[in-house]
Amino acid sequence: MAKFGRSKQSEDITSKPYTMSTFAVQVVMTVVALVFLFPLFVILNYSFKTKKELYLTSPLKLPDSLQWANYEAALKKLNLTTTFTNTFIYTAISVLLLALLCGVTAWAISRGKGKFFKFSFVYFVIGILIPFQALFLPIYTIGYKMHLTNTRYGIIFMYVATGISFGVFLMNSFMSTVPLELEEAARIDGCSVVKTYFVIVFPLLKPAFATLIIMQAFQIWNDYLLASLYVSKKGLKTLTVAIQSLFSAQASDYTTAMAAIVVSVLPISILFLSLQKYFIKGMTVGAVKG
Amino acid sequence: MKKKALSLFLCSAMTVSMLTGCGGSGDGGAAEAPAADTAQDTEAPAAAEEEPAEAEAPAASTDGEEVTLTVLAGQSTTDAGIEDMIDAALAEKYPNITLEWECTGWDGEFHPKMQQYMQSGLPDIIIGKAQDVNTYASQGLLGEIDAAYLDRGLDAARENVTFDGKTYGLVYNALYQGVYYNKTMFAENGWEVPTTQEELQAIIDDCNAKGIVPFASHMVDTWSIGNVTMQFMMNDVFNNTPDWGDQFREGKVSFAEDQAAQTAYSYNKLIFDNTYPETFSTEQTDCDARMVLGEAAMKVSGSWSIQNFLDIDESFDFGIFPFPNQTGDSKLIFEPNIAIMTSAETEHQDAVNCVLDVLSGDKELAVEIVDFTKTASMLKDVTPTYTNPSQADIDAYAAKGMIVDVTLGNNQLVWGGFQEENAADIAAYLQGDISFEDCLAASDARVGSSSAQ
Amino acid sequence: MNKKKTMQDKMNRQYLLLIVPGMVIFTIGVILPLLLALRYSFTSWDGMTVEKDFVGISNYINLWKDANFRQAWWFTIKFTIANTIVQNVFALLFAVALDSGIKAQKIYRTILFIPCLVSAVIVGFVWLKLYSNVLPELNEIFGTNINFLLFGDGKTVLRGLVIANNWQWIGYWMLIYLAGLQSVPSDLYEAAKVDGANAVQRFFNVTIPMLAPAITICVVGITTGSLKVYDLLVSSTGGGPGRASTSVIQMIYATAISGRQYGYGSAMSVTLVVILLMVAMIQVKGLKSKEVQS
Repeated sequence: MAKFGRSKQSEDITSKPYTMSTFAVQVVMTVVALVFLFPLFVILNYSFKTKKELYLTSPLKLPDSLQWANYEAALKKLNLTTTFTNTFIYTAISVLLLALLCGVTAWAISRGKGKFFKFSFVYFVIGILIPFQALFLPIYTIGYKMHLTNTRYGIIFMYVATGISFGVFLMNSFMSTVPLELEEAARIDGCSVVKTYFVIVFPLLKPAFATLIIMQAFQIWNDYLLASLYVSKKGLKTLTVAIQSLFSAQASDYTTAMAAIVVSVLPISILFLSLQKYFIKGMTVGAVKG
Repeated sequence: MKKKALSLFLCSAMTVSMLTGCGGSGDGGAAEAPAADTAQDTEAPAAAEEEPAEAEAPAASTDGEEVTLTVLAGQSTTDAGIEDMIDAALAEKYPNITLEWECTGWDGEFHPKMQQYMQSGLPDIIIGKAQDVNTYASQGLLGEIDAAYLDRGLDAARENVTFDGKTYGLVYNALYQGVYYNKTMFAENGWEVPTTQEELQAIIDDCNAKGIVPFASHMVDTWSIGNVTMQFMMNDVFNNTPDWGDQFREGKVSFAEDQAAQTAYSYNKLIFDNTYPETFSTEQTDCDARMVLGEAAMKVSGSWSIQNFLDIDESFDFGIFPFPNQTGDSKLIFEPNIAIMTSAETEHQDAVNCVLDVLSGDKELAVEIVDFTKTASMLKDVTPTYTNPSQADIDAYAAKGMIVDVTLGNNQLVWGGFQEENAADIAAYLQGDISFEDCLAASDARVGSSSAQ
Repeated sequence: MNKKKTMQDKMNRQYLLLIVPGMVIFTIGVILPLLLALRYSFTSWDGMTVEKDFVGISNYINLWKDANFRQAWWFTIKFTIANTIVQNVFALLFAVALDSGIKAQKIYRTILFIPCLVSAVIVGFVWLKLYSNVLPELNEIFGTNINFLLFGDGKTVLRGLVIANNWQWIGYWMLIYLAGLQSVPSDLYEAAKVDGANAVQRFFNVTIPMLAPAITICVVGITTGSLKVYDLLVSSTGGGPGRASTSVIQMIYATAISGRQYGYGSAMSVTLVVILLMVAMIQVKGLKSKEVQS
């Protein structure tokens, strides 16, 4: 846990004096924050307008009345219950499998002795440097040759396969936080390797798992390329793919599209706000010298 | 503890989502309810229409066991939603047949999906555009469509989907393409519908003098450039040389040397010089809205604009005419759109025929679909009920035989990999990135991708 | 001694078994595609037919001559460089600002972070609307004459995309810098103050060296992220106007899938992978050596 340095809330905010220059910074950052919020305001504003208002009045004008009908249309066009559920299932199962696999793989790599284990680590890490986006063509070919396309397990398999590199790398960097003495003690007590992992190591890796799960969940949730290639049957589509089809050529329904954006961003934002602490820990791991 | 809470949360959420996942598929059931009233009215006329010979084939599976057919549909955005209408109509007549839909964007994932299925076996039914029939029938992948169903469609529908005397597609509806014009504005300024380039130029000059934008356009969408270029090619190239595309591949003609093809390309420049200065930042809906508001006089487009026009102002009065060519004998462009194809190797031919029976026989469904997509029906005796101010013009051109099927051009010069890429070059030329000669040379260099075979 | 060795062997075997599942999945999902891409890149396969004719390295020779491919690379490189610089500088600036003791730091942090929760496909679409409809309205209101139609011209489209991409990602990298800043022990600053260093000197002599690990993460992350840009373009410029914003991945998609030149597209993929690997290795090596020095 030393990785995260001193705790944020306790020190710096209170320790630094609030001077004129701090006030100037405060003003500048307020302007920056407003600029960052502006596109979000536009989305919300559009999502409540009628089509006619959209074309006939200024884009910055607030709607005359809130058009909840846009949201109804968005829910229907997105097929929200299905697409939301799909995205959730793919994300949840993929990250849990990733946590399980990456933890055990990284641990075995760091504890095994010999050239093979060193090689394994490099082998996995190559995957971080090659993003799957660069390989989408053959990934797609393999998908349909192995009958993985248009199946739930197929897309989950791909998310796991493409996420494993980063996971192993991340978990590996946490292995030094697990004291070897504990493992040795367990072994003397007669624990098998597998049992040692689940009884001793697994519970000690809690922060690492939280990090891994959050970072991967957030990528898988927003993925477009793999999802668009792998799952296109009506009952299997994800939220991002469904939304993209609302934007495509000849679409005329921007008010609905904007409402759909609000609907799709809302759940992940709520999740972020409620788990903010984990998110931030997860993303900043490694940025700080331990 | 926190980890426990998190995993507990994830697990319970997963369980819940699994449950609702099953509920999700129940949606289909709910959708059947409204079907009842549409299909009830349909049943009578559809049944009456059927000749005894046709009824036989599907009969086999009417009372048969449950069948699920897979359907791959490549749709334009304006088509999205017709799958629910078809489901509803089918559920009424053949409740034992369920369609498992895979709807993709025709511009985007449709062809990749077809490539994928060529390796692993085609879905039972494929819904694409008429130009796809040529691409896939030539690979021997498609099944012949029974004449019983084809006979319910217009004869014109068969022409470009028939090869060696066998028809592989049931063409369902059609679009019209040409120059949409603001009728009120034309009347106020005393402009007549132009038939020659000189007459068109006169209108453009008058527009410019009066501060009216001659053409509405939205070149941010590269597809729209590709679309209008094929319209120009039809009336300036293919009208004189119907096999221009084949000659192109044989090396007899080329863009660099063919005057007519260059003229067709250069019309894009004419439009670019006489349109919104910010056309490369203007999207279709904004473009159409500005035309409806009287900013622009004309727009080279297709039926897909109608919905936009009427959404913004239901009383907007517009007509359509073909973009004038050099010889002054342009024809209105007609594009067979949705085409239903079947797999040559389906295991459920009877059930597939039942679906074809509903699609070709259910006139109530046909009206519902053409009204929804703002298109013309390719079935006999089906008349749309939506308002289309340009219908009178279409009827007039049809009566004079001045209509041409763009499938001719699209079959010879494919969209994906050729027309689409050429359009990007034309855009680059209009932007001043490359010269006109480079643009033509790039199209010539792409000859290898000009055909799907 | 001997006993200990057999013990370790036994354990190694068990560790090995634990690695196998992950390795198999990874191999099928990532390494096998890599080898397949290599194989297809030597054929003229169209992606549809059964036969795949071996054509040697002619795809790679054609790539070398392909002006569109060069242009796609040129765009991707410019996009990457611009992003790496702009994003790092602003992320660090904002992090320093938030760490300067301003009030309600958490609220600013959340606001700047939220855009990266939005999928890039949506970000592209929203900025398309912003540039073409919403922002020009500001000119009307303030009577200014700023060109906001950035996506409409090949000369400004890069700028427009970089702004959209930064709006999405600055908050993310800022968080990483913020965590780095907050881990700098305050006595280091005190010591520098005693030595008579002013604020700017303290920033360059204390803060920047202490942030080295964070800088490594951000630079590598932004570079590799920008080189694979695709989602952002799908619903914004679509690669246009003309070909001005066509990225390498987008070109692979158009060539191999829409254009039915699968073999040729595979050669593009292989080229991309090789370059990505090289860039990442060089950066990691270079930045790591700097970290050690500091």
